[in-house]
Order: sequence, then structure tokens, then C-alpha cells
Amino acid sequence: MGDGKSPPGSPKENPDNNLDANPLTKDDSSLETIVRKFQDTSLKRHKFWETQPVGQFKDAGDTSVPEGPIEPPAPLSEVKQEPYNLPSPYEWTTCDMDSEGTCTEVYNLLKNNYVEDDESMFRFNYSKEFLRWALHPPGYYKSWHIGVRAKASKKLVAFITGIPARIRVRDVVVRMAEINFLCVHKKLRSKRLAPVMIKEVTRRVHLENIWQAAYTAGVVLPTPITTCQYWHRSLNPKKLIDVGFSRLGARMTMSRTMKLYKLPDSPATPGFRKMELRDVPAVTRLLRDYLSQFVVAPDFDENDVEHWLLPHENVVDSYLVESPKTHEITDFCSFYTLPSSILGNQTYSTLKAAYSYYNVSSKTPLLQLMNDALIVAKQKDFDVFNALDVMQNECFLKELKFGPGDGQLHYYLYNYRTRHALKPSELGLVLL
Amino acid sequence: MGDWQQLVQSIVLGLIFSFLVAKLISIVLSFKEDNLSITRSAPKPEIPDDPNPGLAHETDSVVAEHGSVRNDSVPGSDVETDDDDDWEGVECTELDEIFSASTAFVAAAAADRLSEKVSSDAQLRLYGLYKIATEGPCTASQPSALKVTARAKWQAWQKLGAMPPEEAMQKYIDIVSELYPSWLDGSSLKSRGGEGDALSKDARGPMGPVFSTFVYEEESGNELKMDAIHAFAREGEVDNLLKCIESGISVNLRDSEGRTPLHWAVDRGHLKNTELLVSRNADVNAKDNDGQTPLHYAVVCEREAIAEYLVKESAATDIKDNDGNSPSDLCEANWPWMQVAGKQID
Repeated sequence: MGDGKSPPGSPKENPDNNLDANPLTKDDSSLETIVRKFQDTSLKRHKFWETQPVGQFKDAGDTSVPEGPIEPPAPLSEVKQEPYNLPSPYEWTTCDMDSEGTCTEVYNLLKNNYVEDDESMFRFNYSKEFLRWALHPPGYYKSWHIGVRAKASKKLVAFITGIPARIRVRDVVVRMAEINFLCVHKKLRSKRLAPVMIKEVTRRVHLENIWQAAYTAGVVLPTPITTCQYWHRSLNPKKLIDVGFSRLGARMTMSRTMKLYKLPDSPATPGFRKMELRDVPAVTRLLRDYLSQFVVAPDFDENDVEHWLLPHENVVDSYLVESPKTHEITDFCSFYTLPSSILGNQTYSTLKAAYSYYNVSSKTPLLQLMNDALIVAKQKDFDVFNALDVMQNECFLKELKFGPGDGQLHYYLYNYRTRHALKPSELGLVLL
Repeated sequence: MGDWQQLVQSIVLGLIFSFLVAKLISIVLSFKEDNLSITRSAPKPEIPDDPNPGLAHETDSVVAEHGSVRNDSVPGSDVETDDDDDWEGVECTELDEIFSASTAFVAAAAADRLSEKVSSDAQLRLYGLYKIATEGPCTASQPSALKVTARAKWQAWQKLGAMPPEEAMQKYIDIVSELYPSWLDGSSLKSRGGEGDALSKDARGPMGPVFSTFVYEEESGNELKMDAIHAFAREGEVDNLLKCIESGISVNLRDSEGRTPLHWAVDRGHLKNTELLVSRNADVNAKDNDGQTPLHYAVVCEREAIAEYLVKESAATDIKDNDGNSPSDLCEANWPWMQVAGKQID
């Protein structure tokens, strides 16, 4: 028991000392001590996911593990009825996005604290209209729009959401939650709120008898179903260069760059027009048929198509090709509007980006269809058109002068194992 | 009597023993509590979670020295109206957090023997920076030359002299980021707007979308040959450009694509350079290999002020390039003086 006299926290008696084989020399013992708890948290970040029903790295490539749910559904009575505990200065709140006040709070939290690029030059600035659209699909649950407030000030300091979706994995349509908009205020990032928020949204999803989820992340967690790459197509190259979104090589002229990315004034495909309400049944048929070729894709019905794909000013744009002769709807393309704040630029404050959403080509070559999408995006004053290499996108990216981005997006399923990882081209799902 | 003494002695020893056990248990418990951040209650004013009071104190003083400066210097890119009282005691400074996380990463990497890939030179640099950041300048005496490792470490520390701890932390983080570019992946640490070159991967959250920008690709196959005068014109370096001209280099010198310095200055939008070049008799109607004049460039690049200036300096608006387009053909913005000037020349 002589150890009891050594200073508290010394390596010997530290209960979490998992570094018995630590090769560090005696000189480094102080370093060893100061870092232990951080090490602990860095291990925990996988510890957290290792406790969750997600595909584990150790099982990767093991084809004997069956495809499907990892854990069977539990009886609802076994789902924890009380919310998880938060650190005591904070409390849970349900965010009613129909309330203008709450919607504004959520908007501001995300605007100031959500995802940035690697160099903190840009931060996503989802509009309020976009957030309402993204969070109110058919059959949404208000209780899945979860906020955390500081008890004292009532200030909204964190947010996470789920929305219900039917997602098909091969032949099986699974009711899932799409988890998104996890955001913790910058000043609370060291509080490790994220794991408890993920657990809480999971609990609330379970309460609706839903046991699977889909989500994306920029980081590798156990275990991606696929890893996609972002591509960018300059529409306003001068602004993109001025704000640092892209760079002009020392031996390249702006004049040539402008010429390179110039687009015609109007779409080329005859019968190319904006989608309307009356097109919903035809677009649904077209889209269902098209998405059936992918391993993982949403199972859209007409209500979903009406919600997700009918044009919505400054949120989502959809165009289709109606054959001038037969009036049949043969092709479809869409993109959503996601502006970003430009941090610290004198001239510009907002980057207006279009993100490729669902595109279907049956008669018009996809390349031509997407070129028309670029043209209308340019007309609508977007600065850049972004696309992932999902579905058949790869066939047009290079040809239409998309350049590779530095962002990789990993797709995940919660409590659902796929036999092997997919190629991006086998994925038919776009999360916002 | 002897028995009685023995009894007292054993009671006293027993008390001491149980005190020590109780103490140990309480240390263990408090340590655990500190680490279970989810269940942790009130925020603490000191650096959260540090299991070692001694070190916490040391680190605290580092933070105290620099904390105020750092807080002031956090750029106000978000105009936040929130009352900072909300956060009192919650924050530790960001650099400190990231430094701590990076030291943790290094220790973990060492434990995983990843460090075998790291040169001993880099390890020594890290050691020196770590010591400066946590202990300040080296005051220990030089170890004997026989203790090779100890001496190398001492030198690594000593040679940094009186480097400020903050700088040492930043450099430490830079080196770690260079050695393990992905070390911050998945970390809960995040950068605050505008502060973090070294924090690179940091802005990516645990879940959700990704903000991607263009990967910068070095131009390959671009055989352009250009001179210093073109580069100065391109970069807007007025003084150097002037020196070039005064040293007798032709103001209309062509690069391998037939561009003059004026083309480059206009292309990059440097009005001052443009004015300087024109005042030194640069040819305003010089054509590059595509038949384009500086005014073509100004129009294509939508540089209105420069285009207006060039037209005023009698640049022709009707010279056709090799594609048959004149500047006024290419002008989409319908600048009135562009059209009027065109007509005048007609």
C-alpha cells in the first residue's frame, strides 16, 4: 500500500492505465500522465461505435456473416422510456420547426457551428426553408427533431435529427431513420455531447419501432457501406477563385479559365422543362424503375416524390424531358440548394452551391441531361455544382469538367450489415 | 504494557492504512467521474478532466499566460450576440485542447509502435516543443556526453531557448499534423472559424455531410515559359515591376503564349499594374497567340474598372481574336462605354 503515498494520478495507481506495454521511457512519464485521459477519449470514440450495432471492422470482408439486421428488434416495452442523462447544465428540448422562433434558433445554431471545410473558409448555411423541407417529409416525427438547451439561458446549444425513410437494401425494403444535422455549439465541443445525442435519437427512433438508420460522415467509423468522393463543377470560376474555393494555377490565366467553364445560355434538349405537380406519377415510375438497379436506394412512392422532388423555390429544383412527340416523360434531373457562408472574405459572404440529387436518364444521354442541369443552375446564379460519384454520375463528371474535391463522404447503416462494401456506383441514395 | 503499546501501534497503523485505502478509493472514484464526461455535473473552472493536479496546475499557468490573448484574438467571424457568461468555466482554450489531444495522439501512436515510422529527428523536435510548452525554457544542466539519448533530448529542448509556450504548442501540432495528417479525424475537437490552418481535418464532424473544395492539381503539360516581369505583373507587385522596366526589360516582352505583362496584369485584375504598364508605353492592343488583346482579357474576366480604363487609354474594342470575336462581342455585361466607344471607332 505504499503506493497510496505517491502523488494522485501517478501512472502506477491510475485505474485506467491500459498501457502496461508502453514503450515510453522514464523521461516521458509526465507526458504519459498528462495524455492518459485524452488517450482514453480517443479510444472511446471507437469504443462508442464498438458498442453499437454497426458493422465492425473485424468482420469486414467476412462473407459468412449474414446480411441483414445485426440485432433483432426489441419489444417496445424494453426500450428505455426516459431520455438519456445530459450533463446537468443542459436539458433536452424538442424543436418544432413550424415555429418561426425555434426554426430561427436552429438555423442560427447551424449557421454558426455546423460543418466547415478543412481550412475553415466556408461553413454550411442551410436555409430555414431547406431545414423545414428536409425535416418534414411524409410521416415525420416531431420528437425526432432534438435540441439541447442550456438550462440557465435556454440557449439552444446542440441539435440532431432523424426522419423516417424506406430504404431498400437489395430486395428488402427496410424502415429506417435518416440521421442528420448533428451539431454541437463550438464552445461545447469538448463536452462529448455527440454520443449521448446519438443515443437519444436512437432511443426515440426505437420508440417508433424502427431499428435501422442511415447516415453519413466525413470520418471513418465502423463501418462504411461505401465511400464516395465529391466532385465540383465551376459555374462562376472567378468568384470561386476569389473566395478560395478553387485555385488558379500560376501559369493559367483567368481568361482561359472563364472560357473553359462557359456554358450555353439555355438547355439543349428539346422538351426539357421544370417538373410540375401533374408529373409526380410519371416521375415516380421513372425513378422507381431507375433506382431498382442500385443495391441501396430509397423506396420512393408518389408522396415521397412530391415532397422531395417537386420544385421548391431555393430548396430543390427538378427538370424533366417530355418528349415533344409522345409527351412521355423520359428523363429527369434534380439538384438541391445549399449555400455556405464564406468566412472572412471582404467581397463575398455567400457561396451558392447546387448539389446533384436524383437523376434519371432513359432516352436523353445522362451527359447531355446533366449539361442542361448545369446550364439551368448557371442561369439560377449558382456558383458551383457539386456531385458525388454515386449512381451513374461517374460517366459525366470528367467530361462535364467537374474536378475532384478534397471531401470524401462515407455512408453508413445502423444495425444493418451488408455482405460487402459497395462501390459508389452501387449506391442510389443521397442524404442532404 | 508492551502488549498495550503493540495494540495502540497496530490500531494507529490500521487507521493509517484504512485512511490510505479510503484516499485511494476516493482518488480512483474521482478520476473515474472526471472521465465519464457524460455524467459529469457542474463545469469546473480548471482544465476539465485532468487527472493530475500537479500537471493541471502547470498547464493552467500556461493557459493563464496566453488565454486572454488568445480569446481576444479569436476572429469575430461570427457575430455572436450570446452572453459569454453562458460559457464561463466551460471552455478551455482551443490551442490547449488541441495540443493536449495531439500529445495524447503521439503517446497512443508510440504505444502502438506507429512511431517507429517517425524519424528520431522528428521525435526529438516533438520532445523539445513539448517541454517548452509544458515547462518553459530549459534550465536543467547538460547531461553527460555518455548519455546519448538524454543529451540529445536536452539539446532538443535547450536549443529552443525562450520560445513562447503558445508557439511551441502550435509547432508541435503542426508537426503531428504533418506526420499523421489524419490524426484529428473523428476527434470531437473542432476549430473555431478562421483560426485553424494547423487544425485541418478538424472541421469534420462525427456525423453528417462534408464540405468539400477543389483539390488543387498542379498543372501538368503546361509548358508555358514566362519571365519575371510577367510574374510581377501577375502578382500585382508594382515595385518589382517598376524595377524590371527601369532595368531596361521591354515592357512588351512576350511569354511563350504571346502574352505581355499587360495581359497578365489585366488577367489578374491589378489596376495599379495596368496603369503603370500603360504609363510606360505598354502596347494596349498587343495580341497574344490567340489574337486576344488585354481588353479581351478584361472583358472575359469581367474586370470592369480595368476595361473602362483601357478603353479610355484608347484600347480598340473591335479587334477580332482568332475566333473572330472582338472585345465588344464578348462583353456580356453591356457596359455602355464599351458600346459607345466601339461605335466611335466605327
